[in-house]
Amino acid sequence: MKPIFIALVAVLTVNGVTGAQELSPREIMDRVDRVLRGSSSHGMATMQVTTENWERQMTMEIWSLGTEYSLVRLRAPQKEAGTATLMADKDIWNYLPKVDRTIKMPASMMGGAWMGSHFTNDDLVKESQLVEDYNIEIAYEGDRDGVTVWEFLLTPLPEAAVVWGHLEYQVRQQDYMPLWARYYDEDGELSRTMTFSEFIDLGGRLVPAVMDLQPADKPHERTTMRYETLEFDIDLERSFFSLQTLQRQR
Amino acid sequence: MSEKPWFRIGWRNLGRHRKRTMLTALGLAVGYFAAVFTIGYSEGLMAEMVENATGLVSGQIEIHDAEYRPERSLYDTIGGRDGVNVTRLLDGVSTDPGVVAVAPRVYAGGLISSGESTSAGMLMGIDPERELTVSRFLDELVDGRVPEQGRNELVIGVEMARQLAVGVGDDVIIVAPGADGSMGNDLYAVSGIFRTGMPELDASNAVLPLADLQTLLTLDPSRIHEIAVTIQNPWIANDTAERLAAILNPDDLDLEVAPWTELNPIIVEFVALINAFYGIVFVIVFGVAIFGVANTMLMSTYERRREIAVMLAMGATPGSVVKTVLYEAGAMGILALALGIGISLPLMLWWNIAPIDLSRLYGDLTVQGALLRPVLRVELNLAYWIWGGVALVATALLAALYPAARAARIPPADALSGL
Repeated sequence: MKPIFIALVAVLTVNGVTGAQELSPREIMDRVDRVLRGSSSHGMATMQVTTENWERQMTMEIWSLGTEYSLVRLRAPQKEAGTATLMADKDIWNYLPKVDRTIKMPASMMGGAWMGSHFTNDDLVKESQLVEDYNIEIAYEGDRDGVTVWEFLLTPLPEAAVVWGHLEYQVRQQDYMPLWARYYDEDGELSRTMTFSEFIDLGGRLVPAVMDLQPADKPHERTTMRYETLEFDIDLERSFFSLQTLQRQR
Repeated sequence: MSEKPWFRIGWRNLGRHRKRTMLTALGLAVGYFAAVFTIGYSEGLMAEMVENATGLVSGQIEIHDAEYRPERSLYDTIGGRDGVNVTRLLDGVSTDPGVVAVAPRVYAGGLISSGESTSAGMLMGIDPERELTVSRFLDELVDGRVPEQGRNELVIGVEMARQLAVGVGDDVIIVAPGADGSMGNDLYAVSGIFRTGMPELDASNAVLPLADLQTLLTLDPSRIHEIAVTIQNPWIANDTAERLAAILNPDDLDLEVAPWTELNPIIVEFVALINAFYGIVFVIVFGVAIFGVANTMLMSTYERRREIAVMLAMGATPGSVVKTVLYEAGAMGILALALGIGISLPLMLWWNIAPIDLSRLYGDLTVQGALLRPVLRVELNLAYWIWGGVALVATALLAALYPAARAARIPPADALSGL
């Protein structure tokens, strides 16, 4: 889910920028990457997960502070309402209201699915510091379906601890909105595609309200996340992202 | 001329130096014992490996939905999405005369957590009564008892218990993605702790009653992943599996009936590899012995140079001389074989009937994913005893070829004139 936040934040920062024509690829991606850090957000979102075997919709409330901290609490469906995930300092805890217990996600399960979606636990925590972990170059610049875009090729730096072989990122030039990101595995095979859409004003900023994650090997499966409300730069302390808050069933 | 005198000469030569003959024969006999024991012990290990690979947890035949392996998806239950009449299917399998016991199972991945510790585990849903007749790993628990249905109980392996720092009576939380996409979670009490000796299993398996696991996973009671079958002995698995497939197929279920040889081909290959190795055992053991025998035969013919020269001078053909030496060696071989069987039989019978516990020397170990208990257990396989005997006599004869050829070429005049 972090990519979501990051993309989101990236958009936020970039939004007000003018006269950015001469930015380097690195600087452009930095805007896409840097934004969430230091800023806080709070919002409601729905997540629609479609798999071969079932389909479900979850409503969740999300708080975040920088890229280090976030808290997600399910509000629906009723059966799982109150279930919450805390991400702090690269660790994940899940709170289970039914048994009133908190479970820390073991390192071996970080590649596993988060709440049955196509996002992994790693997606939630991996500090996606794109400019720090990847070498960034412009692979294409120009017109795509009537829209002027940049297409970036991100290759991991030798020492970076990342799971992807490389990434491709398409960003709209007019307002720095990301359009899609493609994740490739180490063999260069497309692993999944994230598509951004419905660029609307939420919390006073232009954001892609919908993010759609589609695994390449399962064409009929997808996870779609839609922000319903969103507010930025709210009053959130680090202390909010604690196990106490996690276990408080609000 | 009859063969008898040549044989008599050979036989009597053995008595010339009784100690030397006995030592050489003893060397061959010990070689025979070494070969028979090495093979018998290794067959014992193989039998143990197959028994544990098939009887400890998995079963000698497993029945799944055709789609189930290798992904082992939660959704690929027997009979597909609609499930199956489990009792009727189990009864159907039980009708085969080769089948001793059957047990249904449900599998799922999940997290098992207690306090600060969480481990990823394999959840195994069992029918406690039936399971005890199929697999052995729950027979003797380290602590506690088998879980009872409807009481949110489970048993875990010793290693998992250590990692989670829980004992019998403590609560653990299980979190598992359910069949409807929800995150199933509940509290369970540890009713017992098992130990298989296989580190992976002891660290990752959590076993709970089938119905309880189905509830956690929101899986209908008619949906199971596996039927484990125990048969009369592991070596009839292939035939029995074929029969079962024939019995079950009219039910219109897309089933896979897999014998352990298919589920665990590595063990089959391993057994084949070890069998091929037995030939090498013979070559090594008797390859060493052959030089000892050759040395003895060379000495015994050399010290009889004059005698052989007289025989040749009196008209014996070189072929006859060769014969006497070969008869001598052959007789020694048979003597050694008798000695060898005399040494091997009591020891091997002892280790076959009452295997020696070696656990003081080394602990449990696993080979190709199968547990081996540290016991000196040997199998008695007549074929290898016969092959060993043939190899022993052949060794003695082979060792005598060169000394015999040399003896036949002794120049009578030179030898008799003392040169």
